[in-house]
Amino acid sequence: MMFITGPLYSGKRTFARNFRGSVIADVQDAAAETQTPEQLETLARELAEYDIVIATEVGGGVVPMDAEERAGREAAGRLACLLAERADCVVQMFCGIPTVLKGELPQC
Amino acid sequence: MLTLVLGGAASGKSAYAESLVLKTGLPRYYLATMQVWDAECAARVEKHRKMRAQKQFETLECPLHLDRLALPGRGTVLLEDLGNLVANELYSPGGAGKHTAEAVLTGLERLAAGCDNLIVVSNEVFSGGADYAGDTDQYLLALAQVNNAFAARADNVCRVVCGLPVYYKGGEKL
Repeated sequence: MMFITGPLYSGKRTFARNFRGSVIADVQDAAAETQTPEQLETLARELAEYDIVIATEVGGGVVPMDAEERAGREAAGRLACLLAERADCVVQMFCGIPTVLKGELPQC
Repeated sequence: MLTLVLGGAASGKSAYAESLVLKTGLPRYYLATMQVWDAECAARVEKHRKMRAQKQFETLECPLHLDRLALPGRGTVLLEDLGNLVANELYSPGGAGKHTAEAVLTGLERLAAGCDNLIVVSNEVFSGGADYAGDTDQYLLALAQVNNAFAARADNVCRVVCGLPVYYKGGEKL
C-alpha cells in the first residue's frame, strides 16, 4: 500500500493517478467518525487493503475550540501514523511536489 | 546536543522524541508542561505517562518558569512541549505575559547549559490560516519566535509527519 498525505489541494489525487490500483481518498473524515482506538486500528487495517490511501493533513492549525473538532483531528493524525506504519511507501505532497518519506515508489 | 522535534496534532512527535531519548544514557528527565484543568487534559497526561512507563524517566513538572527550574543532575532532558509552555506563560497569572518568548528562550538556554542532551518537542500550529484575532495571534507569534530561535541554536531540527522523521537540519546522531 502507498500512503499519500499532504495539505488540502496539494496534488495528492493528481499524483495518485500516476499509479495503478485501487484508491481511497479523504480517509481523515472516516477517522473522525471512530470512537475508540480499537475502531481506529480496524479502520487502518481495512484501509491498508487498498493500493493507494490518501489523507489530507488537518493537524497543522491552531487547536480548535470545539472538543469534537479536536478529537477528529487527533483521530486523523493517529490514523495517518497507523497507515504510515503499514505502508510500503509514504509520500508527502507539497504544492504538487512529492517527497518520499518511506520506501520506494511503486512502478507506474 | 540540542534537538527540536516538531509536528502537528497526533503526528507521532512524542513517540519519536522518546525514541531519541532511549538512545541516550541515564539519567533521563521528562519536563512536563501541561496544566491539568479538565478530563481531556487528564486523559492526555495519562496517555503520555503510559507511553513513558518503563523508559526510566524522572518526571519534573514545569508548567511555568522554565528559567527557574533546577535539574537534579545532568543527562538527557525531554521537554514536552513548547506549545503548552508558551500558552501557560502568556495566559497564566504570574506568567511572563508579553515577555513570554524571551522568558522561554532564557529557560531553554539555561536548560541546554545544564544537561548533556536536550530534546524539545514543539507544535506545528501555523498551517491552518493566517488571520487570527489578538490573543491567538499573540500566541502564534510567541511560539514561532521560540521555535525559530531554538531551531537556529539546535544541532537537529526534525519535523515528524505521520510518525516519520523529516530532518531539516542535522540528523539522527544521538
